[in-house]
Amino acid sequence: MSTTVASPTTTSAGLALRALAMPLALLAIFAYFAIQSPAFLSSRNLSMLGIEVSITAVLALGMFLVILPGQIDLSAGSGVGLIGGLAAVLIFEHAWPAPAALLFGIVVAAIIWFSMGSLIVKERVPSFIITLGGLLVFRGLHWLVIHNATIPVSRGGEANLYSQLTTCYLPPMTGTLLSAGVILAMGIVSWRTFQRQKASGTAGHGEQIFLQFFVAAQLLGLFVMICNAYRGLPLPVVVLGVVAFLIHTLTTQTPFGRYLYAIGGNEEAAVVSGVPVARVTVGAFLIMGLIVAITGFLQTAYSGASTTTVGSLMELDAVAACVIGGTSLRGGRGTVGGVLLGALIMAALLNGMTLLAVSPEAKYITRGLVLGLAVWADVRLARRR
Amino acid sequence: MSAPLLAADHLIKRFPGVIALNGVSFDLRAGEMHALCGENGAGKSTLIKTLSGIHPAGSYEGDILVEGQAVSFQNSKDAEKHGIGVIYQELALVPEMTVAENIFLGNEPRRRGGVFIDWEKISRESKELLDRFGLSIDPAAKVNDLGIGHQQLVEIAKAMSKHTRVLILDEPTAALTEQEVGVLLDMLRDLKKRGIALVYISHKLDEVFAIADRITVLRDGRSITTLEAAQTTKSEVIRHMVGRPLEDLFPRRSGKIGKVILSVKDLTVAEGSKNRLEQISFEVRAGEVLGIGGLMGAGRSELLLHLIGAYGQRGAGEVLLEDQALGPKHSPTESIQRGLVLVSEDRKRYGLILDQEIGFNMALSSLWDLVHSMFGSLGLIDASKESGRNQEYFQALRVKAPGLNTPVGTLSGGNQQKVVLAKAMMTRPKVVLLDEPTRGIDVGAKLEVYELVNKLTDAGQAVLLVSSELPELMGMSDRILMLAEGRVGGLFGKAEATQENLLAAAMGTEHTANLN
Repeated sequence: MSTTVASPTTTSAGLALRALAMPLALLAIFAYFAIQSPAFLSSRNLSMLGIEVSITAVLALGMFLVILPGQIDLSAGSGVGLIGGLAAVLIFEHAWPAPAALLFGIVVAAIIWFSMGSLIVKERVPSFIITLGGLLVFRGLHWLVIHNATIPVSRGGEANLYSQLTTCYLPPMTGTLLSAGVILAMGIVSWRTFQRQKASGTAGHGEQIFLQFFVAAQLLGLFVMICNAYRGLPLPVVVLGVVAFLIHTLTTQTPFGRYLYAIGGNEEAAVVSGVPVARVTVGAFLIMGLIVAITGFLQTAYSGASTTTVGSLMELDAVAACVIGGTSLRGGRGTVGGVLLGALIMAALLNGMTLLAVSPEAKYITRGLVLGLAVWADVRLARRR
Repeated sequence: MSAPLLAADHLIKRFPGVIALNGVSFDLRAGEMHALCGENGAGKSTLIKTLSGIHPAGSYEGDILVEGQAVSFQNSKDAEKHGIGVIYQELALVPEMTVAENIFLGNEPRRRGGVFIDWEKISRESKELLDRFGLSIDPAAKVNDLGIGHQQLVEIAKAMSKHTRVLILDEPTAALTEQEVGVLLDMLRDLKKRGIALVYISHKLDEVFAIADRITVLRDGRSITTLEAAQTTKSEVIRHMVGRPLEDLFPRRSGKIGKVILSVKDLTVAEGSKNRLEQISFEVRAGEVLGIGGLMGAGRSELLLHLIGAYGQRGAGEVLLEDQALGPKHSPTESIQRGLVLVSEDRKRYGLILDQEIGFNMALSSLWDLVHSMFGSLGLIDASKESGRNQEYFQALRVKAPGLNTPVGTLSGGNQQKVVLAKAMMTRPKVVLLDEPTRGIDVGAKLEVYELVNKLTDAGQAVLLVSSELPELMGMSDRILMLAEGRVGGLFGKAEATQENLLAAAMGTEHTANLN
């Protein structure tokens, strides 16, 4: 008897530890940097961190959509540089209005990623190879477009839509109202989920749903208050909020999202079950293209200008954020919440180390070790089940 | 009389939930050709795996004797040391290596103190070996470049290089053309003349009678009888293979048969350059169960997979679903939305997303029907409609699990099968293709599957039921289509569907050319 009672408890304890491991790691990272450098927790730095996380996380969410069906996109970082640079050149050298330049960048990205997706699915070339080629081609195109120069995102230093992407802050009142609205919406959704689970008898734990809601609501409220103490809520954070909401809805509430999980879980079974595998996979790449464009604008705007290094290695940060957040590289497993957490860990590490004036070489090594450590720990905890 | 070269004495081999061998005795004399016959699942493969050490001593009961001495093989190397070699259905050659390299693979002669491989010796000895058996095969040729028949001969030569006295062949002709079969049988006769004892497993009774001295029939894990080939007939062997009375385990209720729903005309399907299905024609009506039988490799699963749109290129013919053409290039997505759904024989490979929950799997094929309209697969799933529908089928099929959110990988085989069936039912199909729906599930769950088939036909749906078990096929079908090597071997109504008729049609006895 004792064994039958003991096994479920160890299982749920193991699961809980696994679910809590990354939040605890994040807390430890925050605590360490806060002690080493009090400036880490200043409202100015946390606002900056908010912008940096947003840029990393938006790209990681796109990567998440590509990894879910078991693919990969190594060209994302180069794409960020290329699309951001393209828009900058159109504005700075050809005097296009900023909105037109951004729209043009989005269309170009959509076409490129749609083509790569089609090539991968229809011609059955592995995505690793196609996007590795993309990495090199887009890097070359990027440098060609900006002719190895530094191209500012606006002419003569005046503000435009492009430059304001990362310099615009929502006024405190707007930010507060916005966050209150979001919290209200989250509350309603949590309540309805709880009701539905109760009705269908599949209710797990009501307290878990509400606990999640309270933690998320408090963190959001706290973050907005901190930002308001500086200049207000940074625009990239709002962009991330919108992208995360859309992708969360897409992956959990639509057939498209279910199909992504099904393809990654077992592609052959998905085909026989009537999942339109080709269309869905190409769709994931198309959305990735849109996200690469958005990230390209954010990252280039944050640098102030398109240079040869913008976007470099960002694809690896995106993959790292997914994996640290519990996304399986073989596909079929992962959540938006996990990816956001992974992105926060990667961005906080980089931000904190920059604040402590850690040398670039040590930064690379640390980030690599953290990635390996996180995945190793996850595998160990998964095996204990 | 001297002791037989190889003998099995009352072998019993159990697997979890199944007794594969339940008292098999058989003996092999030096220099004889001994055939093993039996239906799928009779225990032939388990027997040779036991004789050749793949199932090690201790995992079975009973004795294996070599020249009268009890032996206990721990692995296939032990068996090889006693001169027992096996050629399996799937060839064990490395396609990218040469014939000579394959023959000496794992057994390479060495020179200079065992450090370097003696390539000269390999090429010289393999040439001698091939010459000895009169095989005109270049030892330096890549195995990949040989036909499947020649590959088979290389396997045999390889076995002979290890001083084999007993050669066991498991369905060696399954993939060969008639001409290749002729060459192979000649080589086997030659081996026999050299005093090698052969155990020959084949479904093809014509071949068996062409070369065997004696025939042992297995059925349900028992050795039924051993016959002198010269003093028996094919029909006697078939009668022994079939043997058992049709038990009342199949509660088929035939109902009202309606109009034709699915019609297949002269269907020819190729995969790669080879035709896997040729000139298949049949019709299925509403409320009818059409059973599809045949031996392994006859093309049963390929037929169902092609109908759903997941296999091969259609060379000729047409498929009509409710008088509308389906294909030639159609996707499973289209088939399912038009009312044709498949439950595959391999539920782990083609049926389930094992990491996901029961509810996720059940709804996967009918999500297009659960969307709030308009946006297609980008629309929002109606969550309450989904969980209601899931709950309905979860209960109707009596899936035994804590709830819809249980991961499907943790369920037993029978319950996993119910989830796959529920997924198919939820698409509200007009034609259900069931491929071995009761494979690997217990008797209770089988009965529930049969009841489900009755419910489907009562509701006016048509069922195509593929099964390797003749009793199941006869018990649950209104009509039976037998396939033999990708062609129609025969179509039988309930009255003509005796086991003898079906088995004869499955072996394509009429088609097989004279081998002598």
